[in-house]
Amino acid sequence: MTFAPLPEDAGRIRGWLAAYRVSAWVTGVFLLLLVVMMIVRYGFAADLAIGWPDQPWISMGPRDLTPGEDPTGSWPPGVLNLSTIILIVHGWLYVVYLVIDFALWRLCRYSFGYFLFVALGGVIPFLSFFFEWRVPRDIRGIVARLETQAEDESGREPGSEVPA
Amino acid sequence: MEPEVPPPLGPHFRSVARRPRWIAVLLLVLAVASGFAFLGRWQLERAITPQDDTDTEAVVPLDSLVQPQRPGSPDAYWRMVSDDLRIVPGDAVVLSGRTNTGSETGYWVVLHTVETDGGASLAVAAGWTASEDAATAAVASLNGSDAASVDLGAVVGRYLPTESPDESDFEHATRSALATAELVNLWQEPATPVYTGYLVLRDPLAGLDEIDSPPPIPQDEVNLLNLFYAVEWAIFAGAALFIWWRLVRDAELKELGIDPAQLRRSRRVRPAARP
Repeated sequence: MTFAPLPEDAGRIRGWLAAYRVSAWVTGVFLLLLVVMMIVRYGFAADLAIGWPDQPWISMGPRDLTPGEDPTGSWPPGVLNLSTIILIVHGWLYVVYLVIDFALWRLCRYSFGYFLFVALGGVIPFLSFFFEWRVPRDIRGIVARLETQAEDESGREPGSEVPA
Repeated sequence: MEPEVPPPLGPHFRSVARRPRWIAVLLLVLAVASGFAFLGRWQLERAITPQDDTDTEAVVPLDSLVQPQRPGSPDAYWRMVSDDLRIVPGDAVVLSGRTNTGSETGYWVVLHTVETDGGASLAVAAGWTASEDAATAAVASLNGSDAASVDLGAVVGRYLPTESPDESDFEHATRSALATAELVNLWQEPATPVYTGYLVLRDPLAGLDEIDSPPPIPQDEVNLLNLFYAVEWAIFAGAALFIWWRLVRDAELKELGIDPAQLRRSRRVRPAARP
C-alpha cells in the first residue's frame, strides 16, 4: 500500500513551501559567496576583510585562522573577517534548509531519496536555484490534489476520516 | 478494525530493524554519524587551546626568542628577556596619554637602542612619568647635541608586541602608541635591522617610574565558534540516527497497514473520534 499526504495538511505544506523558496534562494546566494571565499582563502591564502584601514570597503587581509593554527598575519582590531562570517552564516542557513526539507518530506510523503536530493541543494553551487523553481512545481501538484480531496471531503464530520 | 499501534521501539520494531536491509542502512548511518562525531571532536580540539606552560618570568636572551625584522611567534612576546644595549642619541621620543598603575595618564620615554653585538635596533620603553616636564627633560638630555652614545649594558625587561599607529594621534599631532614601524621613520640614525616588538625596562632610567607590565595571565583559550560547531556536529550525528529510526518506523508501520500521518491525525482528533 502507498501512503498519501493528508488533505488537511495542504495549508501546512503551503507554509513550509514558502519557507523553502526563501531558504533555497538565500542558502544558494551564500553558497556562491562561500565559493568565492574558498577561492580567496585556499587560492590566494587570504581572507575577505570589511573595514581594513585605508582600504576599500571590502578588501583582502592575510588568512586569519582559528587558534591552533599559525596565523599568517595579524588583523587590526575592529576589522571584520567576511570570509569567516560567510562560513558561519552559510552553515546555519543550511541547517534551516535541512529542517525545512525534513518537514516537507514528512508532510508530502515523498521518498527518502528525494529528501537527500533536495538536501544537495545547499552544498552544490547553483543547484538550489534550480530547486527553488523545481521543488515548488512538484509540491504544488501534491497540494492541488489535496485541496480537491479536501473539497470532496468537506461537509463530513471532522474526524470522520479516521480509518475505521 | 484499526490495527493496534506498536510502541516506537517495541518487539515488532526490533524485528524489522534486524533485517539485513535495515542493518545495512544502520551501518551506513553509523558511519555518517561517526564522521560527524569525528568532525565534532576536531572542532572541540580547535575550540580549546591548551595553556602555554612557558615560564614567562624566566629571563632569556632576546635573540633566542626572536630575530630582528621577523614577526616572531606569539609565544615570544610577554616574556622577560635580557639584552646588551646602547642608546642611540637624538632618537628618544615622548609618548603621551599612557596610564600606568592608576587611572592617571602620563608619559613614556621611548629610546632607540642598538644591540652592542649584532647592531640590530630595538625600541625601549624606558619609564613612565606623570609630568610632561620630566618626560621632555629626560628626552632633552638624551637628545642634546652633546649627548654621547650611552651604554646601557645588560638590561632586563619584558618584550611586547608592537602597538598599532593611532589615527587620532595623527589628527591631533600627538603620539601615544608605541608602533615600531612609525618610530623607525622618526629615528635619525639609519635603521639597522629592527625588532618588530619593543622592550619595557624592568629598571627604569633615573627620574622615571617603572612601567607597569604584569606577567600575562595564563589561561586556556576557548573559542566559542568552534565550540558551537562541535555542538552542531553532535546534533547532526543525533539527527542521522533519528532519521534511521524514522525510516525503520515507517517501514514497520507500513507493514502493519498503519499510515504514520493518519496516526498523527487520529491523535489530533481522537477525543472526538472515540467517544
